[in-house]
Amino acid sequence: MDKVLESAGMKKSFGRSLLYTLPMFLITFMFMTGGKPNFSDPASALAMMTAFLLVNVLYFFMHYTGKTDRYRAVLFIIFALSLSYTLIHNMLEVRKSMSFSQADILECKIPFCHLVIPMMILPAAFTKSIIFPGSIIGGFANISSMVLLWLVATVVLGRGFCSWGCFYGGWDDGFSRIRKKPVIKKISELWRWMPFAVLIMVALTSALALMPTYCSWICPFKAVTEFEQVTSVESATKAGIFLSLFGGLVIALPVMTRKRTQCSFLCPMGAVNTLSNKITPFTLKIDKQACTECLKCVEVCPLYALTPEDVKAGKVSLFCSRCGKCVDACSKRAIHYGIRGIPAGTMKNFSRNLFLFVSFLFMAIFSAGSIISTFQGLFKFIF
Amino acid sequence: MKKVKIIAGISWAFLCLILIIILFPGLNSFSVSVSKLPFMKLNPRYTGGEIANQVISKSCTLDIRRPVFNGFLKERNSGFVQLDWHGTIPDMIKDSIDFDHDGNKDFCISINRKDSKTVLNPFNKKVKEVLISTPTSYGWAARVKLVN
Ligand code: SF4
Ligand code: SF4
Ligand code: SF4
Repeated sequence: MDKVLESAGMKKSFGRSLLYTLPMFLITFMFMTGGKPNFSDPASALAMMTAFLLVNVLYFFMHYTGKTDRYRAVLFIIFALSLSYTLIHNMLEVRKSMSFSQADILECKIPFCHLVIPMMILPAAFTKSIIFPGSIIGGFANISSMVLLWLVATVVLGRGFCSWGCFYGGWDDGFSRIRKKPVIKKISELWRWMPFAVLIMVALTSALALMPTYCSWICPFKAVTEFEQVTSVESATKAGIFLSLFGGLVIALPVMTRKRTQCSFLCPMGAVNTLSNKITPFTLKIDKQACTECLKCVEVCPLYALTPEDVKAGKVSLFCSRCGKCVDACSKRAIHYGIRGIPAGTMKNFSRNLFLFVSFLFMAIFSAGSIISTFQGLFKFIF
Repeated sequence: MKKVKIIAGISWAFLCLILIIILFPGLNSFSVSVSKLPFMKLNPRYTGGEIANQVISKSCTLDIRRPVFNGFLKERNSGFVQLDWHGTIPDMIKDSIDFDHDGNKDFCISINRKDSKTVLNPFNKKVKEVLISTPTSYGWAARVKLVN
């Protein structure tokens, strides 16, 4: 019976699902091809078509099956892998190495990522300058466009950025899905406050040192992007920290807990995005009348965003990243996507449709470049 | 009141939809506007500071940058001066530098570009050590540590 009830209300007929996919189809087509598909290079054309189809098939299935997280995660994980592939490929092509040199730093050629933003704020306010050796405008991953992309995504999606926009989140999301059952079942949810402590620490140390300390000393994703050349004890220590944190928080713990432990317990940007959940119009709501307090949603939430107390109170905490895993798991359709101001239990389909369109469109377009170039590399390798 | 809240919520959601739709086509021009914000410039600790003096020889130019001591709220006790060589640079670089423009040379720097060996000869007690000496896409760059 549960299986029948499961997401039944969110399912759509084949034709209706196609109709809902049409706007996504047209917009992504315009963005990926610029309106004029170019078939002069077969590998590039095939890569573009594959990426385009992938995105639209996933979106179609979200409507057709009524499931969100299952299809979101596919694109989110591919995004993370392809971004790392693109970055490493560029580094190897341009610099013949995965590490950047002192010259790259002196010439301010380091690609910028959104994780630097929390460390930039105090120095920007007090010294009127940016403490990162990147390009302000122009070139790959420049500071102005990355800040703008993150800012808009954060206002629109809140912490939804952490399940629909961040090109790192897919790593621990992916590893958290490897085992069917967790080996470690209980970790105190108090740990979810840890990113706030990290945020305060890195914001202050970065301001004092005028250097993004999280990037220099902590960021686990250096292991799959680019890092400083190992030329001294200091740079070797840094590389050791990056690799250990990646191995521990992005691979081992997610596999053992089925949770996104790096995002839950470390990332300072996650803390900032958590606060931005206060602004976004898109929320998760619990319909207390439908909820049986089975706590299945608490069990599956990968970000420790739900506690039994939250469920009893009918509230989803600020830690929620709108991934939709709890929505997919709730057989009573009690937990659902909502819009601020609309009471829980009402306008469920409308709220989900609108949220899916906005969040999926952002992810599809944001990820398109790196996914296409990864497919291109793959096809060139195969054929 | 309930109706007002619903209308406000839905309006905000649709505004967000519009924001996302215009974000990507407008990304380049919006980014240019962001880049013009007053704080959108790189800190001198990264750029190396403004060029204070240029020494032009036959084939190569040496830029001597303004010493960088800037800190978060006040100047620091230690900083650096950056030197950039452009053009056709000889295999052995040897230059004497007056970074504070008092008419006296403050240090002499010699660089063997073949093995990157860099030797610093300070004439001023504010000059401490070579922090960086590296080939760059435009030639060669060095940073020399200074104290106030
Ligand atoms: S918590 Fe950090 S790494 Fe994880 S998805 Fe959010 S911004 Fe990305
Ligand atoms: S919201 Fe759904 S999954 Fe969560 S406790 Fe209630 S009925 Fe169970
Ligand atoms: S509460 Fe639900 S939507 Fe939010 S992070 Fe947890 S599982 Fe994802």
